[in-house]
Order: sequence, then structure tokens, then C-alpha cells
Amino acid sequence: MARDGRHGFSDAQVGFLLIVPGIAIFVAVILYPFISAIMMSFTDRTLLSPSYESVGFDNYIRIFTDPYFLKTVWTTIVFVVFSTLIPFTLGMIWAIILNQGFRGSEFLRGVTLVNWIIPGTAIGFLWSWIFNSQYGILNGLLSSLGLIDNNISFLGQTSTALICVIIARSWQMLPWYMAFLLGGLQSVPMDRIEAARIDGANNLQVFRHIVIPGMKQIFFLVLILGAIGNLQHFDIPWTMTQGGPARATTTLSLEVYRTAFQNWKLGQAATVGTVWAILLAAFSFVYLKQVKESE
Amino acid sequence: MFQKTLAFRIFFTISAIIIGCFVFLPLLWLINTALKPSSETFSLYFFFGPLTIENIVSILTNGTIMNYLKNSLIVSFLSSFFATLVSAFAGYSFSKFRYRGRKLVMGAFMMSQAFPQAILLLSIYLMMQRMGLLGSYWSLLISYVVFTLPVGTWTLKGYFDALPDSLIESAKIDGAGNLKIMRKIIFPMAVPGMISIAIYGFVWSWNDLLYSMTLVTDPARRTLAPGLVMTYLGEASTNWSAMMSASIVAAIPVTIIFVFLQRYFIAGLTSGAVKE
Repeated sequence: MARDGRHGFSDAQVGFLLIVPGIAIFVAVILYPFISAIMMSFTDRTLLSPSYESVGFDNYIRIFTDPYFLKTVWTTIVFVVFSTLIPFTLGMIWAIILNQGFRGSEFLRGVTLVNWIIPGTAIGFLWSWIFNSQYGILNGLLSSLGLIDNNISFLGQTSTALICVIIARSWQMLPWYMAFLLGGLQSVPMDRIEAARIDGANNLQVFRHIVIPGMKQIFFLVLILGAIGNLQHFDIPWTMTQGGPARATTTLSLEVYRTAFQNWKLGQAATVGTVWAILLAAFSFVYLKQVKESE
Repeated sequence: MFQKTLAFRIFFTISAIIIGCFVFLPLLWLINTALKPSSETFSLYFFFGPLTIENIVSILTNGTIMNYLKNSLIVSFLSSFFATLVSAFAGYSFSKFRYRGRKLVMGAFMMSQAFPQAILLLSIYLMMQRMGLLGSYWSLLISYVVFTLPVGTWTLKGYFDALPDSLIESAKIDGAGNLKIMRKIIFPMAVPGMISIAIYGFVWSWNDLLYSMTLVTDPARRTLAPGLVMTYLGEASTNWSAMMSASIVAAIPVTIIFVFLQRYFIAGLTSGAVKE
């Protein structure tokens, strides 16, 4: 094995030394906390006292018989599905439009990305203001158009709050999907499109038989990554509604935070988190498998 | 790509208008509200009416919020620097060295973004409490590095893979040590990738709310995102023009980076998932 004369380390040792910082941080911030949280889920630990006892599967039995928990899981699923599919679809159409290459399309692409880079907190503020029940622009528009007589409390009623949060999240993520999908569109082989044109294919046929198959892999990747991101998401629902009204916008990530840091029940929060981790793992598994295949 | 048939033109125009409004109007409304005098906050005019920068000036001269901003800058710069460095080391190691357990570590790094952050926070909180780091920037710096690590390692590994081994070999024959090879040959070649990763890390920590809200509870050390939430949420009567102005101020640093380094920014944004 080659040796670096000056330091006396072999190449393999140097290679290993280089990942030591990464491994140390990975263990401290991911691996240890994860294992310790799973263990915590079998205890009645709280943030109020340092002593705790093992309670076996009590926490699990409790959450699975708790109608609120099942509602939280359902809210999470609705949030993830719509907050992924809406910006994906709009981002795809927007990418097709910008890909046409008209004057100013480069500029529009740049400006679109601004929505994605501004902090989620600011986005939450903005959409709370738009949906505000007294002075919000949406109520203002609807009533000046004569569509409503009384202002609607969009964020204050359970039937609309989740929709508002999904709209805000879709607005934030549309540029992200657009950026990926635009790259995907540009990698679709033009010669195949031209060949199909000569055979008399129309736009719809080109889209269905060449563009979609050509972008299959990137569709898959952005949808999975987008869904993982939404399963993790915290900022926008927290700033807009804090999970209310009546838990209508409480997703699993808000539930874990609230149980642990507002109700101080670490054991229960860890249980919710563990169930959530299993959900995420299913997505991640599919993602990794896909990445492996593409290598 | 598509022929400009009548049907396509109709589709193009209608969706361009609808999506264009959805994408751009909210942000314009934010700017519009921030620029209205306080007395006009609730009127519905759109830029055509009295405008002022007094709201933004009052945020920029607000000591508490400027302190949050300063804290955010410190944390974001440091964590972005550390994350890039750790990713570069790891990426170089994965690319050019072979040792036992390499594949395992690569897989583990890649998975780290998929662990639910809120559950990790439970134990990180207890751990930082025990180590007396709760409320210090260290708790944030350590946590943020890990979220840049998968994307960073992978992107930079790609850059290092493109370097021929013969380059390193010949430097070794010339008597250069590993450190010197890294500093003089390897890292300079990956500068564009490192800029992308540094931006990615910066934006991540700049925008984070969950970790910063939980781990830093000392008001003097609070960063911008939780600072704004604590300042404006739960007020009896919300000051909307101040909130919108503060949102603009919070978006300025990342927007500046974006405008000047757009190429790197988009590379960083898309590097996570797409193989070159």
C-alpha cells in the first residue's frame, strides 16, 4: 500500500480521516438522536422531571386508540398529497411555458425562483395576510366582486384552513418543481420529436409518447423528494395557524413539536415520531431504490 | 418543442395568465403592503396610491430585529462554511480513497435527509441541555451541517470523480503531501461546486424555523425566523405593514446571493437529486 512519507499514514487511513468529521456529526445529530428517540417512545419521559420509567407499548396503544392521532395522520396524508401534486402540475405547465423561449422567459424563470428562496416564515406571514378574515385581499376581492356578503374567516374555520395552508405551501414549492422539470424538458431528445413530427404526430401525441416517457425518471424523483419534504414540513402551517383551528392543520411534524415542547411529553412525542419515521422510511426506500437503478 | 397551433396558443395564454398571477401577485402584494403608509394598510389599492418606505426604515432601525438579523448572518455563514468543508472532505474521501465501510458510510450520509427532523430534535434538545450547549450557536451549527451533508457530499464527489487519478499520482511523485494536494490541486478544481453547496447551506440555515426556535431560547441570541414569529404572532392586533416589511428584510440577504450567484444557486438547488 502506498504510503505518504511525511505523515506516515496509508492512503486508506487518510481517506478514513477525511470522513471522521462527517461521521462524528452524523452520529451526534442523526444516529444517536434517532435511536434514543425510539427508546424514549417506550418511556413516560417528560421535560419537567429528569426521572422516568419504562411503560412498554402503552404510548403506542394510546396513540392508536386516540381519534386525534388518526386524524393527524389523515391531515398529514392530505397535506402531503396535495402539496406535492398541485405545485408539481403547475410547475410542469409553467416549465413548458418558459421552455418555449419567448422574450423575457429567462427573466421570468429567475423571478419565479424568488418565491422559493424567501424564508418559510415570511411566506406564512404573507399568506396569513392574504387570507385574513377582516382586511385580507382575498375577502376584499370577493366582496367587491359581489361573490360574498360577509367576510370568510379562511384560516379560522376547519373546512378551509388546511386548503389555505396547502395553497401557501404550493406557492412556495412551485419554483422548485419548475427548476427540476425545466431541466428535464431540456433533456428530452429533440431529434425524436422531429422524427415524430415528420410522421404527422400532433402536440398531444408528442407530449404523451415522447415527453412523458422521456421525463419519467425525473417525475418520479421530484415527486418522491417533494413528498419527503412535505412530510417534514413545519414552517408554513406553524406560522399560519399553529396547527389550528381545532387541529385542522396539525400534521405529524407539528404534532411531535407540540407534544414535546408545549406539553412537555417527550415519551409520547417520540412515539408519534417513530410512527412517522416508519412512514418516511417507506418513501425513502422507494427513492433509494430508484437512485440505485439509475446509477 | 410544441407547435404553435391554435389549441396550443389558447392553452399557453390561459395557463400563462393563471399561473403567472398565482406566482407573482402574492409577492407584489407583500411589497405593496410594506410600502403603504400605516394609515392605508387596510385599503385595497395596488401600488397606485400613496407609498412610503417608512415601514421598512422602521424595521431597519429596530434594534431587536437587527440583532436577530445579525445572529442569523453569523449562524448561516458559519454553518455554511463548516458544512462545505465537511462535505468537501467527505466527498474527496468517497471519490479517491478505498477503505472498508466506505459504501456503508455513503449510504448513511445519503439517508440523513430522510430522517424526520422533529423527532431528532427531541434527543438533540436533551443532549444539548446535558452538554450545556442549549441556547448557544453550537447547537445550531452542529445540527445544520448534517442537513447539507448528503447533497454536499454527493455534489462534490461528482467534481472530484472528474479529476484524473494521474494528477494526484504525479503530485505525489513530486513529493507533495496529502494536505498540500488537497489545498493546491483538489479543492481549487471544485470551487464552483463548493460555492453551490455553501449557498445551499446558507439558505437552509437562514430559513430554518424549527431547530432555531427550539434550541436557542435566549432572546439576545435568537435568529431571524423565530425572532419574527415571536415578535409578530400572538400579538393582540397584528401590525401587518410591519410584518410585511420585516418579511422583505428577512428575504433580502438570500435574494442578494440569488441575484449575483444565480448560476451556482440553481446548480445547488437541483444537485440534490439529479445525476449529471
